[in-house]
Amino acid sequence: MDPFSINGGACVAMVGKNCVAIACDLRLGKQTLTISNNYPKIFSYGDTYLGLTGLATDIETVSTDLRTKVNMYRLREERDIEPETFTNLVSSYLYQRRFGPFYVSPVVAGINNRTGEPFIAAFDCLGCTDYSKDFVVSGTSSNQLFGTCESLWEPGLEPEDLFETISQVLLNSMDRDALAGWGAHVYIITKDQVIKRLLKTRQD
Amino acid sequence: MGGFDFSNYARNAALQKQGFPQPQATSTGTTIVGCIFDGGVVIAADTRATSGEIVAEKNCQKLHYITPNIWCAGAGTAADTEFVTALISSQLELHSLSTGRKPRVVTCMTLVKQHLFRHQGHLGAYLVVAGVDPTGINLFTVHAHGSTDKLPYVTMGSGSLAAMSIFESQWQKNLTQEDAVKLCAEAILAGIFNDLGSGSNVNVGIITAEKTTIKRNFIIPNERVPKEQSYRFPRGTTAILKEQMISRAELRKYITIVDMTGKGTVEGDAMEVDA
Amino acid sequence: MKAEDDKTRILNDHCLMAYSGEAGDTGMLTRSFGRGKVQFAEFIQANVQLYGMRSNCTQALSPSSVSSFVRTELAKSLRSRKPYNLNLLIGGYDTVNDKPELYWLDFLAAKDKLPYAAHGYAQYYCLSILDKHHHPNIDLEQGLKILRMCIEELDRRMPMNFKGVNVKVITKTGIQDLEY
Repeated sequence: MDPFSINGGACVAMVGKNCVAIACDLRLGKQTLTISNNYPKIFSYGDTYLGLTGLATDIETVSTDLRTKVNMYRLREERDIEPETFTNLVSSYLYQRRFGPFYVSPVVAGINNRTGEPFIAAFDCLGCTDYSKDFVVSGTSSNQLFGTCESLWEPGLEPEDLFETISQVLLNSMDRDALAGWGAHVYIITKDQVIKRLLKTRQD
Repeated sequence: MGGFDFSNYARNAALQKQGFPQPQATSTGTTIVGCIFDGGVVIAADTRATSGEIVAEKNCQKLHYITPNIWCAGAGTAADTEFVTALISSQLELHSLSTGRKPRVVTCMTLVKQHLFRHQGHLGAYLVVAGVDPTGINLFTVHAHGSTDKLPYVTMGSGSLAAMSIFESQWQKNLTQEDAVKLCAEAILAGIFNDLGSGSNVNVGIITAEKTTIKRNFIIPNERVPKEQSYRFPRGTTAILKEQMISRAELRKYITIVDMTGKGTVEGDAMEVDA
Repeated sequence: MKAEDDKTRILNDHCLMAYSGEAGDTGMLTRSFGRGKVQFAEFIQANVQLYGMRSNCTQALSPSSVSSFVRTELAKSLRSRKPYNLNLLIGGYDTVNDKPELYWLDFLAAKDKLPYAAHGYAQYYCLSILDKHHHPNIDLEQGLKILRMCIEELDRRMPMNFKGVNVKVITKTGIQDLEY
């Protein structure tokens, strides 16, 4: 009855050559019972993408709270939020609840609009930021994802190669996790376009 | 300041009563050390962050900026060391602006200990505070409950015993800068190789009256061997059921268009609640 | 709560909420303390209507808006001294987009939009039947047929008798009680 593994789910983000990718599974479960196979865990905030795994109720609350905050930011600043700024927003938002945390493990992916630099980050549920130059993972399959990423990721992947790598990483990790899977979304983010793909996966 | 939001607390306590375990925070199961020498102070840390028995990050920075002449090495709950040092750094900056004086290390140490004591050990931050100010060279440790120490050489974190064994056997009075750096690095290496919570590289910070030098990855004793083969997948390996292109221009539209007569929201991952 | 009590509430012309909670949360005792699931349902019913008036909508709230509102309220209650402990299904007809919608909410205020859903033990007995027989664009008759299969299965396999069911249908024209 770990709150992080009631609903199940997996998320991973990776850096490529002038691109980033973020992917998630689509399962929503209640322990071993699957409620839905269409529950995406990636949310867009303008050009920045956020993956959320953990307790489903908190995924909903956190994603909508952040949507409010980002919309307010856009009204104040009259521009989109950069991934780095968004990361600080997520971090301080989570740390504010240091003694009553949301049961989520967020992952951020995006490309800085000004510098064109790819950016990824992950957090624990208290808001401690893990800045990474290669890949970040979260969810019930995080152990499997760490393993597959560690062996399959390589630097300088072009967008299409990055897509194959992140997809295979997620697919093979999910297959070793009973609580994640049942479909997957992958976002390939480059400077001037985003491609969203629905993967064909096992349904067991 | 200390503006914590406890709105989830009742719910989480109720969940815990129902048998839900508490969440696993990223902790810096760490080796951090500090050592003074003639003319300054050295602090050093390993670069491993753990979440349970999983290495969450292999090359993280545990030396935190407070002011240009004061730095902290942090062990314990990573989120707490990160935010406590950021908070104190901000307070010291404002304090030195309002007094027009250079911040002092004791001031930093006092602010940290008072903050941690106020939270009764619930903030899991264990810090080595080091710096050089107009009063001289300073080195302190602060524990999560608010107790402090002032010593010529200190170690903290899960690797503190391994590191201390180096200091206890090799430390001597009136070290030169070079020897102090070497000794600190050696102590961190002892932690890296003998403590499972510590690992990867050695980060070092040297603070003197003249300047501060932070040497990231001063020693890299555990470099990853390059892969001999590429595991790149041929394009087309992964089966795709659906594809959607979202152009950046489309993303930047500030309005979500809802056609009230027709099919509904215009396609594209535009923001949900805009205008 | 009596066996024949209706465990649904009409939220507006095109929105119906069904609810179930733990036995202790249902009786007259809790009702007198004002914390039963009936109270939550009534509270939601009144507030959806109030919220609709306040937000100055010419049209009634859409099912997605209603479900969001209910979720927020349930999540708020979850953070209070004594939270409500109930699971919900919200069915509605979106008159703007001309689409029926079904929302599933559990006691932790997790929400999802689904083609078919159930709560409690019915999940274990019925979801497999729905997995097999449900497909998009089935008509009312086919839907009722699948529903009948589900209820027969429950009757056959549940270790307890649940003393009949209420069936309500939500269409473009509104909510109707169905003789079952």
